[in-house]
Amino acid sequence: MPQPQRKFPPWIKKRLPAHPQADRTRDILARHRLNTVCRSAQCPNTGECFARGTATFMLLGNTCTRSCRFCAVEKGAPEPLDVSEPERVALAASEMKLSHVVVTSVTRDDLPDGGAAHFAAVIRELRARMPEATVEVLVPDFQGSRESVRVVVEAGPDVFNHNVETVWSLYPQVRPQADYRRSLRILKTAKELKPQMLVKSGLMVGLGERPEEVEEVMKDLLQHGCDILTIGQYLRPSPQHLPVVEFLEPSHFERYGEIARRMGFRAVASAPFVRSSYNAKAVQKEANSK
Amino acid sequence: MFEVKLPDLGDGAGDEAIVSSWHFEEGDEITEGDDLVEMTTDKATFNVPSPRRGILSEILAEEGDVIKVGEVLALLEEE
Repeated sequence: MPQPQRKFPPWIKKRLPAHPQADRTRDILARHRLNTVCRSAQCPNTGECFARGTATFMLLGNTCTRSCRFCAVEKGAPEPLDVSEPERVALAASEMKLSHVVVTSVTRDDLPDGGAAHFAAVIRELRARMPEATVEVLVPDFQGSRESVRVVVEAGPDVFNHNVETVWSLYPQVRPQADYRRSLRILKTAKELKPQMLVKSGLMVGLGERPEEVEEVMKDLLQHGCDILTIGQYLRPSPQHLPVVEFLEPSHFERYGEIARRMGFRAVASAPFVRSSYNAKAVQKEANSK
Repeated sequence: MFEVKLPDLGDGAGDEAIVSSWHFEEGDEITEGDDLVEMTTDKATFNVPSPRRGILSEILAEEGDVIKVGEVLALLEEE
């Protein structure tokens, strides 16, 4: 049935790979019964990344206990914790021959540690099976628990990522169950516990934030020990999610990138289709070269 | 005859997309990798390249149609 067309500016356009070799990636993920944030969050880069043989594993089920209004991940009652998941992630990552493994999770406010021990178990399995690979974790805010951050950091990830997602003033609309200051503290705690570990964060733009507010976020992140910054265009997953207020032109992303680098971030990825884990390996490499 | 199917857009989006415009007409010669058709989902516009070369013999999805991943968009006559 014909439907009204959605109109996007010309730069919100992806080219799919002509010969999608994504089937192999998909097979491995299915065989090991793993979720990816790529599919669950309906990332427009999925075709490109899967064809390159990369994916971002999503731990602790496919259901999130929070109801952030930008995110396509299912919300509701979470699934029981599966103790075989760490091994399955490591087996899949090894089969995919990943040299940089990125793992994230849904938010699990129902678990006493927010899933921190599970993250740690995944990191340990990856280290055991893939000693050469670097590991990046993208964690929830663990409701501000310093102890949970410690458990993850002590397992030894190379990159510790937690996204602030948006500017302070938009938290009530975008992340109603989160707290900007709490998220900043998570980053600071991680850096204090292990100063040599790279700390990373990111935000979406186009939700109605002002450029000054974005610069405020950059300053706050730097003050809280953040080394790497990602900035991407917010894209609405469905008409039930927050509307896009503005599609920023690519030059605006470049400008944000320049400002962030000048301020002192060791690596910055800022472009319309940048997502937190997009090109994570190259971004980590850039940060390490400084 | 080679069936050009809507590849997995990967962005979920109910695994379907709307045909927004064809870059070629029936009878046109297509080179492998040419952008055949532009599709839109809730999140973005996607260009779907041709996996083969041949003559675009029949367009099976009109502009405005909602197509599911795996459905046939067009037929290519391979030389």
